[in-house]
Amino acid sequence: MADIARCPPLTRSSVQTAHKRIQSYIHRTPVVTCETLNLLASTPQSERCPSSDPNIASEPAPHDGKQNEGASKCTARPKVKLFFKCENQQRIGAFKARGAFHALGRLIEEEGIENVRKKGVVTHSSGNHAQALALAARTHGVPAHIVMPTISTPSKIAGTQALGAHVLFSGSTSEEREAVVADVIKETGATLVPPYDHPDIILGQGTQALELEQQVEDMLAQDPSLGISGKKKLDAVIAPIGGGGMLGGICVALHGTGIKVFGAEPEFEGANDAELGLKQDKRIESVKTLTIADGLRTPVGDIPWSIITDKQKLAGIYSVTEEQIKAALRLIMERAKLFVEPSAAVPLAVVLYNEEFRKVLGREAGEEGWNLGIVLSGGNTTMEAIAKLFEAPKKTEERAEAKVTTNGEKVAENVAG
Amino acid sequence: MSALEKCPPLTRQSVQEAHKRIEPYIHRTPVITCHTINILASTPQAERCPSSGLNTASESAPHDRNQHGNALEYKARPNVKLFFKCENQQKIGAFKARGAFHALGRLVEEEGIENVRQKGVVTHSSGNHAQALALAAKTFEVPAHIVMPTISTPSKISGTKSHGANVIFSGSTSDEREAVVADVIEKTGATLVPPYDHPNIILGQGTQALELEEQVEDMLAHDPTLGIPSKTRLDAVIAPIGGGGMLSGICVALEGTGIKVFGAEPNFEGANDAELGLKQNKRIDKVKTLTIADGLRTPVGDIPWKIITDKSKLAGIYSVDEVQIKAALRLAMERAKLFIEPSAAVPLAVILYNEEFRKLVEREAGPDGWNVGIILSGGNTTMEAIAKLFQAAEKEAERAESKVTTNGERVAENVAG
Repeated sequence: MADIARCPPLTRSSVQTAHKRIQSYIHRTPVVTCETLNLLASTPQSERCPSSDPNIASEPAPHDGKQNEGASKCTARPKVKLFFKCENQQRIGAFKARGAFHALGRLIEEEGIENVRKKGVVTHSSGNHAQALALAARTHGVPAHIVMPTISTPSKIAGTQALGAHVLFSGSTSEEREAVVADVIKETGATLVPPYDHPDIILGQGTQALELEQQVEDMLAQDPSLGISGKKKLDAVIAPIGGGGMLGGICVALHGTGIKVFGAEPEFEGANDAELGLKQDKRIESVKTLTIADGLRTPVGDIPWSIITDKQKLAGIYSVTEEQIKAALRLIMERAKLFVEPSAAVPLAVVLYNEEFRKVLGREAGEEGWNLGIVLSGGNTTMEAIAKLFEAPKKTEERAEAKVTTNGEKVAENVAG
Repeated sequence: MSALEKCPPLTRQSVQEAHKRIEPYIHRTPVITCHTINILASTPQAERCPSSGLNTASESAPHDRNQHGNALEYKARPNVKLFFKCENQQKIGAFKARGAFHALGRLVEEEGIENVRQKGVVTHSSGNHAQALALAAKTFEVPAHIVMPTISTPSKISGTKSHGANVIFSGSTSDEREAVVADVIEKTGATLVPPYDHPNIILGQGTQALELEEQVEDMLAHDPTLGIPSKTRLDAVIAPIGGGGMLSGICVALEGTGIKVFGAEPNFEGANDAELGLKQNKRIDKVKTLTIADGLRTPVGDIPWKIITDKSKLAGIYSVDEVQIKAALRLAMERAKLFIEPSAAVPLAVILYNEEFRKLVEREAGPDGWNVGIILSGGNTTMEAIAKLFQAAEKEAERAESKVTTNGERVAENVAG
């Protein structure tokens, strides 16, 4: 990997330079708004109808008896207009393409393309970083070795192989993974391009915040009714955090702009290591979780940790349950019509269901309200994975696909429009 | 409904006027491209890897042995660049909002807002037209009575109710439905706004084609690499056909432009009444099908029929089976990250899997290739409906959500990025 000592400093200006480097290789993904979600987010949880039937497109109090009870006490009424940065539509279906292209581009700048092609690159990743590095490597004609745990999502394995990378499987623990990587480096001299714990990666990931900032300004200049009246820019951004490469990058990119940055984590089985670590003022380095937010199962890395512990850079991290993530995922798909992976639904889940965060929002946004950017980090999931998440009992399924009447009859229909 | 003789003539100019009328009430939905799907569409079926397993991000030969057998003989190699018109992101999640706003707007022009508010409007619809009319009526503060068969998708029922419409359930046959409508008219004097068989509806639906045409020209002017080199506009458009309101509206909108218009239908249980009707030169007026493309279960109406039988307006209609629709649906979601309903996947299925259509495009587009617009008509489906469509054996599903390794172990992972 490009020597840390020679990396650009972690500043907004460096992110702007990084953006110039990678612009021609990535998509300037769209920013979209959704009136329905604005309305839901600006309505107290206690006033949203709990779902009485999973098949009804209900207001999204999560379908859990306990949650519903709790919801009646959740009365925060933040006023927000949401702006979704669609990194699910990025190259390889996730924001990771940015970091990979930047890191590889800097490596080539430093060592020369011939050298890099001779040695190749290597990484360990179960998912989006694997595909991202595979794409960046192929683009530059560089051999890529990707070490993937056998547990990786099959579609992500196939995606990585389809991009021409040499995929090696390893055991489940980090020791086993790192051993295979060390092996590859020994045999090939390949350079390690880690998934998040490196300045070049962090700077690359940060570029999405620059785009989001600018796109929202342009959108509001063209149509002020999309946002809070009288406001011309974003007030805050919320993004998921796993290893912290993206959140760290966004913090750096927006430093000094006055735009506040928040992080969103799953809490299942201790996946909220960043939130807990901040509370106890000590980085948690081991996480073992099967949260459905499969891109966020990793602890925060060292370098991202040094960024997110700086209160001037990061305003706070909030977490949500699996049910809340599922409810938000449903809403993004069924209402905003955006196909995203569960990890990408975590920030919206925080905005909709984390009462602590909603109180902060209510307080800081005040009567006026806030323009809030939400990063939709990726869309790499499959129909089967979704099917598994949202399986319903037989009767309600058949109603959902309109094959039986409300009385249980099965009829074919001459149904108009 | 507005008397037929007082309606504007079915011309491109009328569609342009319709567009001006409805513009403030609808979204100018985005047009997007997808590199991966362009490549798939431009690759002969014989050369696309058949899926080796349901969880592989495979190329899209549908997962049916029979199909695979034939696919090896399918060698057509059309050269196409696809432009997706995202009507799934339209108001109420489908293009029907256009027709409803136009029809109601014209009714208000003709009879005066007071009269229309006094009498109200009524329609029969199982789905998107119901929600569309409910929204248009709410917007103009006109009472709306919507007769829905008990078989309707629950999310569409509740969507309709959420806009304040009075929903009345009827039996499954068209006779029962029409009886209930007649009842409402007798009691309230409400005006019928049908889902597709009326010029005002057709003109409204046609407005999406004007936007698509213009948006593609702008996109190509800005970035020619998105399309066929040196071409500045669309060559063809393909859209789904159920009642024919949209397809005929598109034919009218694009008449005289040189842009060819094609229709796409499911063929399960005779849902391809338009395709068959054209072949025998006689409109089929009854359809009884449970195709998963639930928006397309209806036969073509009289007025749309007159338009689509005009060879100078419509170039042809092609159909696909259920497996092909599912495969296209998967691709639109997993690759292009667009959340659409099954009916909206039908045109893409035709482009990818209907060999007759592929040969035609290869022939007519020639080595140069074609810029083809595809209408993604709507996104009103639910997670449960998708779950039902794509349920896999539990073992494979668990692999997909990466909870077990390839060896069947269940482990939690410290998985990086």
